[in-house]
Order: sequence, then C-alpha cells, then structure tokens
Amino acid sequence: MSNASPERDGGARERLQRWLPKLVLSPSCVLVLFFVYGFIAWTSYISFSDSGMMPDYTWVGLHQWSRLWTSWTWGIALHNIWVFGLLYIVSCIVLGLILAILLDQRIRAEGVLRTIYLYPMALSFIVTGTAWQWFLNPGLGLEKTMHDLGWQSFSFNWLIDSNMAIYTVVIAAVWQATGFVMAMFLAGLRGIDGEMIKAAQIDGAPAWKIYARIIIPQLRPVFLSAVVVLAHLAIKSFDLIVAMTGGGPGNATAVPATFMYSYAFSRNEMGIAAASAVFMLAVIAALIIPYLYSELREPRS
Amino acid sequence: MNSNRFTNGALGVLAWGVALLIFFPILWLLLTSFKTEQQAFTVVPNFFFSPTLESFKMALAQGSGYWHYAWNSALIAVASTVIGLALAVPAAYAMAFYPNKRTDFLLVWMVSTKFIPAVGVLIPIYLVYSAVGLLDNALGLTLLFTAMNLPIIVWMVYSYFRDIPKDIVEAADIDGASIMQTLFKVVLPLALPGLASTGLLALILAWNESFWSITMTDHRAATLAVYIASFKSAEGLFWAKMSAASVLAIAPIIVLGWFTQRQMVRGLTFGAVK
Repeated sequence: MSNASPERDGGARERLQRWLPKLVLSPSCVLVLFFVYGFIAWTSYISFSDSGMMPDYTWVGLHQWSRLWTSWTWGIALHNIWVFGLLYIVSCIVLGLILAILLDQRIRAEGVLRTIYLYPMALSFIVTGTAWQWFLNPGLGLEKTMHDLGWQSFSFNWLIDSNMAIYTVVIAAVWQATGFVMAMFLAGLRGIDGEMIKAAQIDGAPAWKIYARIIIPQLRPVFLSAVVVLAHLAIKSFDLIVAMTGGGPGNATAVPATFMYSYAFSRNEMGIAAASAVFMLAVIAALIIPYLYSELREPRS
Repeated sequence: MNSNRFTNGALGVLAWGVALLIFFPILWLLLTSFKTEQQAFTVVPNFFFSPTLESFKMALAQGSGYWHYAWNSALIAVASTVIGLALAVPAAYAMAFYPNKRTDFLLVWMVSTKFIPAVGVLIPIYLVYSAVGLLDNALGLTLLFTAMNLPIIVWMVYSYFRDIPKDIVEAADIDGASIMQTLFKVVLPLALPGLASTGLLALILAWNESFWSITMTDHRAATLAVYIASFKSAEGLFWAKMSAASVLAIAPIIVLGWFTQRQMVRGLTFGAVK
C-alpha cells in the first residue's frame, strides 16, 4: 500500500486509494486469465474428446493422444523441431556472440550497424520468409542467377529437396534472430565490470584469453536468457515455415506448429490437433517456468 | 580493446561486410521491386539497371487488392495499440505507484503468457469466434492483437512509470490532486517518450503479426501478412510486382525500426536487455 495516502481526508478517499489499483488492474488480468488459461483448459479438454471436424465433447480418454503418437507426420514434426531447434539455438548464440564481440571493438557507426543487424527481427517474418523462398528457389533466385552468370554446374536446390529443406528454414531463421541475440550479448558485454579486464591487460594477457577466461564466463545469464527465448521462438515457429516451404515438400518441413494447424483446419482432426497443442504447451512450460522462477528470485536491478 | 589502427580498420570492414550480408535478402527484394517483370526474370542479373516504378504501380493498381489489405493492417494495428495502451496505463500505474507484495508475481505472470504458443489457444478461439461471428472480422482480429500485445505493453509502461521518482507522485497526492489529475498532469507527461516507444513497438508487432491473421481471416478482414503469404502459390509469374508489394509491406517498419530498435530489443527480451 502507498504510504502517501493523506491522513486528513480519511474515509472514502482512502478506500478509493485502496481499491482503485485493484479495480484498474482487473480488466487486464481478467483478459489475460480468460484468453489464456481458460482457453488452454478448453484445448486440453478437446484433446480428451472425440472432436473431429466439429467439437464433440464425448470423453474418449487418451484415444487422440495415442493417435497423435502413432502419427507418422507427428514423428517427422518432432524430429524436425529437434534438428531445427538445436541448429537454430546453437548457430544464433555462436554467431550472435561473435557479432557482439565484433561490435564491442569500438567500431565506427556502431549504432547504424546494430540497427542493420537487427532489421531481420523487426520485419514481418512472412515477408522475409517469402523473400528467402524466392532467393533459394532454384528456378528464380541464387541458382538461376549463377546459371545466368555462366556457372552452369552450380546447384543449390535444398528448398525442394525433402532431406535438405529443413536446413533452408534454419538458414532463414538464424538470419532472422542472430542480430537479436547479438543485441542481448552486446548489452551483457557493456555491463561487465572493466576492472578485471584492465588488470588482465596489464598482466599482458592476450585478448582471446581475456574473452575466454573473464568475459564469456560472466555472460552466463545472457546465455541462459538467449537459450530460453530462442527455444520458445523455435517451438512457436510457424510463419517462417508457412512462408518458405508450407511444411513441404510433402511433409518434409512439418514442425509441431504447422502440424497442429493442418490437423485443425485441413484434416479436420481437432482432437489430435488439440493434443499436439497441449504437448507443445507442456514443453514450453517445462522450459519457461523454472526460468521465470529463478529470474523472480533474483533481486531486480 | 585494441587500439591498433590497422586491426580496427579490418574489423570495421568485417562488420560492414556482415551488415551487407545480413541486409542482402532485403536488398535483393528492393532491387527486384524496381525492375520490370521482364528485367526481373530474363535479364542477366546485375545491380546496374535503370530502376522503374512500374512494379510499384502494378502492385498499387486498382484490383491488386493492396489497399484493402494495407487498410486492414493499419486499422487493426492502430486500434489494437490504442486499446492496449488504454488498458495498460491504469494497470501499470497501479502496479508502479501502489505496489503490494503480489505485484512482482503478477507482472511475471503476465509476461509469462507471452511465451505461450498461440496454437495452445487456437481451437477454442476459433470456436468462440465462429459462434459469435467474429471470424474474418476486423474487430475480432483487433481484440486478438490487443490480448496478444497487452502483457508486453503493460510490462513496458510499468518499467517507464517506475523510472519516475515516487516523490513527484507523492507530492501531487499531498497537494490534494486526484488520482486522475496525478495520472494525466504529472505521470503521463513525464512518461510520454516511453509511452510513444511502447506504442511504436505494439504497432510493429501488430503490423507484423501473421499467425492470427492467417488462421482467423479469409479476405474481408485479411491483413497484408495474408496477402503476402498468398504469393508463393503464384510464384514467378508476377515476381517484380510481388516484390514491390512486399517492399511496401515492410517499408513502414524499415523506417520505424530505425527509431525503435532499442525498444524492440527491450520489449522482446522482457527487459533482459535495456
């Protein structure tokens, strides 16, 4: 409670002071509560029901769940999200850290560079995904350009190769998020106390050693935040895949989010779609809750 | 760290090289949009061509549908941002100036909902919307965007309010100003820059949103994201025109992004980066 409430008014005014905060907070809270938790509960219920094209609230137990886990496409989607997520997180962190260290060398026009590095993240994923799709399309972009320039044997058809298509999505996704991770690391680098670094420099330690032994270990919280943010972005990734491959060729680039979408809307299997959504929610919750819990326990800066 | 002039120059060149590499797909889209269809497709690609606005004219021509989608995008983005700010300001005000022991928890809980994947609530929302006739409806999409951005708006406004010294608010209280007066005459003017950047971030996020636009709209309330997503089916045919439309769809963000990149990072990392 505010200790500023003036004593002299007392009564109504003070009561208002006490209730107003709760009153004005409630619309936002109710909105979030209703839209999020109510609907999550509803999705969970559907995953145990007989819903197909239309919702049907007959309880069927784990029937939809067992159909989900025996689904061939779901297996592909899970495999893809592993490959995609792992490559995406590792590449973004490695490249982001390198770029942050690069920009930390007092390079001229750093602000301009940082903005350019960040552009992919600020732009609509649908548009940039479409641009990538044109660029990597053998008939239109890179490959055609190389052929037109006279390099006839040049070949880059990953986008339409079912074994390689997921890697083109990784490329575009890494392109998109690297600058963002760079910004996180850069802020971390700027927050490091310079004393130890100066001391190490006076001792004649080479720059790489200072980074490896002093600076990077201090960036541990940033690594943690980056992994959590990237992991949840990976699980949520939908637009980039829709724009680039539409989940194809075939099902080659299906991920849980596109799986859920296609089962809900084109295959009329609402129950299976709901089960897959609940599974994704559970994975993200397992990732986020411990992270937020640990963040909350630390004193805020 | 290294004051050696040569190394520094080399690093600068490297940094600009990376910038060019990162900007290349966008540049490529830009260049294509200034070509004619024939140039885009048949001419040996080069960076020296006479730019033409023909593709932009085509993209904006009547019947291309561009204005319909752009209008929807703009309307829904602005409306959801305004509603979001109107709901978030009182909430953030209460949390920043009348905190109690649950405030921190409340805040983290609100922000945590941003992590929840949209697919988790897609089916119920779709069912509700089809029952009440909000499918393919601008109001329906506005409400979704508001709900989607609200946690981030509350959180950002809160963090700007917290930067305002409490003494000022207490002084206004003691002088007998009502809560409304304190809010409108003292707090909001001080937090105006912060509110502006929060609003810009919300606009960008709403403008870029595609998941709900694709799942909840068909044509009537469809945004630019739906329009661009439909391009790949017609690939190669009107490539320059589609590039021009894409450029037009990202142009506002290219301009806004230049001014808001700091807020962007701050908002997207939930304050991990200030």
